[in-house]
Amino acid sequence: MTVLRTPTAQPGEALIELHHVARRFTKRTDRSRSLQELFIRFFRKRAVDPDEFWPLRDVSLIVRPGDCVGVIGPNGSGKSTLLKLITGILPPTRGDIIVRGRVSSLLELGAGFHPDLTGRENIYLNGSIYGLDRAAMDRRLDEIIAYAGLGDFIDTPVKHYSSGMFVRLGFAVAIHTDPDLLLVDEVLAVGDAAFQHRCMESIYRLRREGKTLLLVSHDLRTVESLCSRAVWIQDGLIAAEGAPGDVIMAYNRYVAAQEEAEAAQRRPPVESTRVGVGARHGSRSIEITHVELCDANGTPSSSFVTGETLIVRLYYRRHRPVEPPVFGMAIHHENGFHLFGPNTLFAGVDTELDADEGSIDYVIPRLTLLEGQYAVSVAVHNRADTETYDYHDRAYPLRVVYSPARAGYGMVDLQGSWQPPVPAGRAAVRQAGKGPAAKLPSESRAHESSPHPAHHQP
Amino acid sequence: MALASAAQPKPRRLAAVSARLRELWRYRWLIRNLVVSEVKARYKNSVLGFVWSLLNPLAMMLVFTVIFGVLWPNQPIEKFPIFLLCGLLPWNFFSASVTSSMTSIVAHGNLVKKVYFPREVLPIAAVLAQLVNFLLAFLVLFVALVVFGSNFSPWLWLLPVIILIQTAFTVGMGLFLSTLHVFYRDTQMVMEVVMLAWFFLTPIFYTVSQLPASYPLWGITLDVHRLFYILNPMASLINVYRDLLYNGYRTDPDFFIRTALTALVVLGFGYWFFARYADRFGEEV
Repeated sequence: MTVLRTPTAQPGEALIELHHVARRFTKRTDRSRSLQELFIRFFRKRAVDPDEFWPLRDVSLIVRPGDCVGVIGPNGSGKSTLLKLITGILPPTRGDIIVRGRVSSLLELGAGFHPDLTGRENIYLNGSIYGLDRAAMDRRLDEIIAYAGLGDFIDTPVKHYSSGMFVRLGFAVAIHTDPDLLLVDEVLAVGDAAFQHRCMESIYRLRREGKTLLLVSHDLRTVESLCSRAVWIQDGLIAAEGAPGDVIMAYNRYVAAQEEAEAAQRRPPVESTRVGVGARHGSRSIEITHVELCDANGTPSSSFVTGETLIVRLYYRRHRPVEPPVFGMAIHHENGFHLFGPNTLFAGVDTELDADEGSIDYVIPRLTLLEGQYAVSVAVHNRADTETYDYHDRAYPLRVVYSPARAGYGMVDLQGSWQPPVPAGRAAVRQAGKGPAAKLPSESRAHESSPHPAHHQP
Repeated sequence: MALASAAQPKPRRLAAVSARLRELWRYRWLIRNLVVSEVKARYKNSVLGFVWSLLNPLAMMLVFTVIFGVLWPNQPIEKFPIFLLCGLLPWNFFSASVTSSMTSIVAHGNLVKKVYFPREVLPIAAVLAQLVNFLLAFLVLFVALVVFGSNFSPWLWLLPVIILIQTAFTVGMGLFLSTLHVFYRDTQMVMEVVMLAWFFLTPIFYTVSQLPASYPLWGITLDVHRLFYILNPMASLINVYRDLLYNGYRTDPDFFIRTALTALVVLGFGYWFFARYADRFGEEV
């Protein structure tokens, strides 16, 4: 185990090198400090402690100047331990760490503030915690004060600050220390919305300036849009590393599968008496025995990516002879929106059943749903919809995971396309009847003929 | 881990020591700012502010003058109030520094867990903050000494050196105790008793010459005076302060050199001990 820290980085050298780093913790109990325990430990120095655990098992990572690395992973996967090893707060149990250059962290904003000192005094104090001297802080002082936006409060002891002001000042100092490497750990979840926006803007600005960032976040969208590389840490190991889109997709699939497995354990068997989500009712002249959500290969799955093929496969069994039935399905968003409900009658599909048992597919060649949790209902009823044979209300969870090729926000990709912008003069040409847009009332015409006086305000 | 580092070749260990010291030097502004903020914060909500640093020894002086001049006048030591102050001020500096530096790591636990910086900054700053206080009090003492007509030694210029030696000794103690305190909070309770005993074992309100010169123990005659100085660096230190400020004596070089060596050894050991365990502060605090 070696840790090497140098204050400056030579050009071409990596800022951080982790080689097979592992870190052990011992679970603390109250007894561990007693004399008896000490006595025992003295004689069994090398005995394996059953209370030990390894938040990091074997992690190797290189961060070069200009990189922006996003670290993702579930809670307890070792992300924060990793940051603490890099900053030097904790030493590794095994492996080598090399850190070149000055590292600042947004681990805890305002951690070094002295409550009795004024904001201005604390700027100097905090700056020196990051290793900056007075001259360097003098140069940055005005910028920091302006950024924090505390006004006259800058000369008030920070113990009188609101928590928002406290964090704002902490962030302002940290962001202006101009480190070779900035570590960011979920701090952006503090402060009001306006301040969060400003934090994000600042971080994006640092990124554009080519600064090196290492960011731990649960906000996968931020990681995707900000980072040049993502690292997924799972159980103390690197599960995936590479382009953020790919890593995030792999991570999302894993999380979805994990949740599905948990849900399957918890979900009670479907009872016919229940109403609402998961309820089932009907005369069972035709029974839907089970339902599969399949991918293009026909393999059942519960998570899909936007743009993939989704096949909803209904297995039925006929118990009594009936006229050709209507099969239907519906997709609901988790907050209750009924998104779409096709059936065989709308589609004009012949549903004459040749056998008492069989299956029917509803094929969606390209899934247009966006990231989110959905539920599938299935039903079979008679043509007049006077008798329901079987109805499973939102009984089948469908998870759509994040796709790097997302088209927009919301629930559904309507698959429109943006056209390049057209200068105002040429809009008239389009209006004259050449393009498809010609049938739409143009902006200028609508304006002229508008009956609303609001449009005519100077 | 310890064995491995002990087995490392010497040049690498020297390099590690110099790297550590260079890092400490880069963080000198942090030490300075911590000292300033500690001194500032102490008087933040008081009306008189830093004047208290001057007022406090003055008030002590007044109390001693009244007690030993009016209530209890037959002291064998002449000019007893200034005799006492010459010993008490350095002792107070030592005692306050030990207490505040011992708890400095734990008191700044929030910072230690969140941000990296060389941890030795904290106990060093705690001692230096007390040093500032001590120097202010010393100004008052000087005035008092002049007023009372004390015998200044021609070797008075040694005073800054002796203050430096005491500071080094105190920093060494602070580094050692603050490390111990991180792992065993009992340290603080134990040290309360130790500091009380140490106070009485240091010739602050008496002189060593008032003690019996020898003490027979199991047939061996112990030289109490010698032992006193050898075993208690604070006794030697305070003796030197007195020689320079009160007795007008040039002080004995063997005293001086021995005290300096003791201070350096304590500082070296304290720093080594601290450096060895500082890595674990982040999880233990």
